[in-house]
Amino acid sequence: MADRIEGVKKLFTSKSARVETNKGDAYYEKLFEKCQARIEELKTQQPINNRLDITDVLEMQGIERRDFLKWASAVTGMLMLPASFTPLVADAALLMNRAPVIWLELSDCAGNSEALLRSDGPKIDEIVLDIISLEFHETLQAAAGHQAEKQLEDAMETFKDKYLLFVEGAVPLGMNGQFGTIGASGETMHDHLLRVAKHAAAVVAVGSCATFGGVPAAAPNPTGAVGVMDVIQGKPLINIPACPANPANMVGVILHYILTGQVPELDSLLRPKFAFGYRIHDNCERRAHFDAGEYVEEWGDEGAKNNFCLYKVGCKGPMTFNNCSIVRYNEGVNWPVGVGRGCIGCSEPDFWDKYAYERPMADAKIKAPTGGVEKTVDEFGLGLLTAAGIGIGIHAVASAVAGKKEDGGEA
Amino acid sequence: MITKTILEQIEGEASLYFDMKGNIVDFVTIAFPHFRGMEKMLEGKNAMDALVITPRVCGICGHSHLLASVRAIEDAYKNSDSVVEITNKAAKVREITLVLEIIQNHLKWIYLVLVPHLRELSESEELLNTPLKGAYGASFATKILAIFAGQWPHSSYMVPGGITSDFTYVDLTKAKSHLQKLTEYFEAETLGASVEEFLSFESCKDFAPLESDFAKIEQLLIDLEMHKKGHAKDTFLSIGIHEFSHAAKVKGTKLFKVASKYVETQDAYAPDEKSYAKNALYKNQFYETGPLARCMAKEFKLIKNMHRRFKDSAYTRVMARIYETAYLLGFCKKLLDEINISEASCRETIPLKNISGTGEGVVEAPRGPLIHRVQIKEGIIKSYEIITPTQYNIASATKENPSPAQQAMLHCSQADAKFIFRTFDVCSVCTTH
Ligand code: SF4
Ligand code: SF4
Repeated sequence: MADRIEGVKKLFTSKSARVETNKGDAYYEKLFEKCQARIEELKTQQPINNRLDITDVLEMQGIERRDFLKWASAVTGMLMLPASFTPLVADAALLMNRAPVIWLELSDCAGNSEALLRSDGPKIDEIVLDIISLEFHETLQAAAGHQAEKQLEDAMETFKDKYLLFVEGAVPLGMNGQFGTIGASGETMHDHLLRVAKHAAAVVAVGSCATFGGVPAAAPNPTGAVGVMDVIQGKPLINIPACPANPANMVGVILHYILTGQVPELDSLLRPKFAFGYRIHDNCERRAHFDAGEYVEEWGDEGAKNNFCLYKVGCKGPMTFNNCSIVRYNEGVNWPVGVGRGCIGCSEPDFWDKYAYERPMADAKIKAPTGGVEKTVDEFGLGLLTAAGIGIGIHAVASAVAGKKEDGGEA
Repeated sequence: MITKTILEQIEGEASLYFDMKGNIVDFVTIAFPHFRGMEKMLEGKNAMDALVITPRVCGICGHSHLLASVRAIEDAYKNSDSVVEITNKAAKVREITLVLEIIQNHLKWIYLVLVPHLRELSESEELLNTPLKGAYGASFATKILAIFAGQWPHSSYMVPGGITSDFTYVDLTKAKSHLQKLTEYFEAETLGASVEEFLSFESCKDFAPLESDFAKIEQLLIDLEMHKKGHAKDTFLSIGIHEFSHAAKVKGTKLFKVASKYVETQDAYAPDEKSYAKNALYKNQFYETGPLARCMAKEFKLIKNMHRRFKDSAYTRVMARIYETAYLLGFCKKLLDEINISEASCRETIPLKNISGTGEGVVEAPRGPLIHRVQIKEGIIKSYEIITPTQYNIASATKENPSPAQQAMLHCSQADAKFIFRTFDVCSVCTTH
């Protein structure tokens, strides 16, 4: 186990998470042909269980073809595919009911289910999710108890080796798994997961708990919780961390699977690069203030009123790989940095123990992706944020003039 | 004979052990088989970490946990002689986001839990199964929440001294317009009457002209005789201090003063399975908490009238949740109108490392009083205790002194009992945290 954790840490500190946006024409041409062939083949298949037809639903909701294509082009961009893929993405969305999904809840707070199916309105994202063939979801289906178990068995049998298994929540291994049992037979979450995963086409771990153990695994990890990747082997596995995971990224993964029949390109922590290939900080609306050395020193100060950079009150954006700053939450209304409280790094492993601190990162003793423990904003910046070099310089001068301490936190 | 049933759709699951006498429920014990150990992982951490960890207790009422946390820390400041006074603006915004969280919870409960199970029980096709209605309504509420809080679920925008958001007039206007749309949606889709008109009703007779989801729900409940079933203990508890609620203990219709220090917990009685839940009691007695308790403490005419006729039946409990949704929509509008944007969002506080002491935060969460108790030494958490509303309602105790839900499930069929269990709006993840 210790090896594993060390391994994860090492992965996190590596540079592989940088995204490669352009892979060259030849690559995309080949991919295009492949996707086209797959879509043609899917079109010949019957929708599963006669689900709703997305074109009908779009029409019912008064969403025009033009808006739908606009959406498809935005998703194409999000998936980091060239614009020429837009019609294919639109086709893939129409074929969402060809991919059966089973959703399991383990040791969790139900936050991702909430984020996925309950907190967005029936916009296109939601309609698309509605169309997916959700064969089993404990919270969202009416069946309970034995009835629910039967439904799960049926889904597993009918779609053997074809279903995508979404898992929300951590796997408690302590006390032989007794901290979490499921169903009438009292099967442990661990056994349950292994059983349902056995015949899945791919496993998608959703949320920080399922990916890296999340909050249940925070020190001292009372239930011995681990992430799905710690117990599942020999299966394609995709991690969509964050707390909660962004529904846009869940849609992206399913779409990508329909489009290509494969899992999207992943980073060393098995996160899709289209969503986790860049840092919060790279696209942050407060970035100009960071570069100009303008910081909120304390909540409620002048800097806060002027929406300055939140680095000094604990923003972990510079070391967090995720697309929140672009996609945002709740139908794009806002995100944590928008309300002045900084990013807590919820899509990184171990963040409860290392990142969650609402205090300057300079005091949190986190290893920067380039290695080395940073001590002050200036040192950290020099080590990691070369592009922000000028900003750091100005900041250093401004701080000296103002006579501010660099480490105002309370470690 | 004892039979075990697993109930899902309660944000996790619960095992119900029915002891039947023929076809009639003679007794039920309840076990919650999941556990995460949130209190343990808070120990030894910086007290500010509670503000990001406790919202993760629950994906449905994370805000309530955040408010309870920040209140507990501010109370600890006070107890180490450093009073934290927050501005009116910060106080109002904290209330607004809390109220919105309650609204979204109720809307989803109506369409994702109540309607499907009511349909199943009554075998009626009267009421359509439209979960999206709940999700859509809730999405308006969470969008307004996100304007002030950054995201929903799981935000951490409250800090000792106030809130971190410095929103603009444009934001405020957006919030008001979303609320307007949400209210219109609820009126058109659920009530079939304007919120104002609905709140002016004084008796069930006033529902007669309505032809809406609400009217159908009401009728089905009566058809199923839910006004004669599901009686709990006829004692209610509302403890959190808010403008929208009144802290009181209610026995029948009499109101008494309350103090949160009398709330204690005991291990759940679950002879058939290990349960990770604890029971919550007030002065050693069980009380019902949640919307019905709040409506009784607030002495709302309509609900008091219902209570006079049908006591604390399943019917009254369901009606109270819908009534509260309407009431809070109006209340939220008033709060938004009262915000003075030029006030400070946050007041500076002395560093937490200078704080040693205990603190308590009490909040009315969607399902009732939520208590956080923290002990801090030089800014570090020594101990943390969380007591959630479901722990009062769905406690599992002995036959001699049953909890509200245990009492309510007695002497009816198993199918009725399962429905009645859900009228309490159970939250498993909170209960066991
Ligand atoms: S990842 Fe976050 S949202 Fe998800 S279950 Fe865990 S704590 Fe809840
Ligand atoms: S440190 Fe945080 S607030 Fe500042 S620019 Fe980076 S991501 Fe934005």
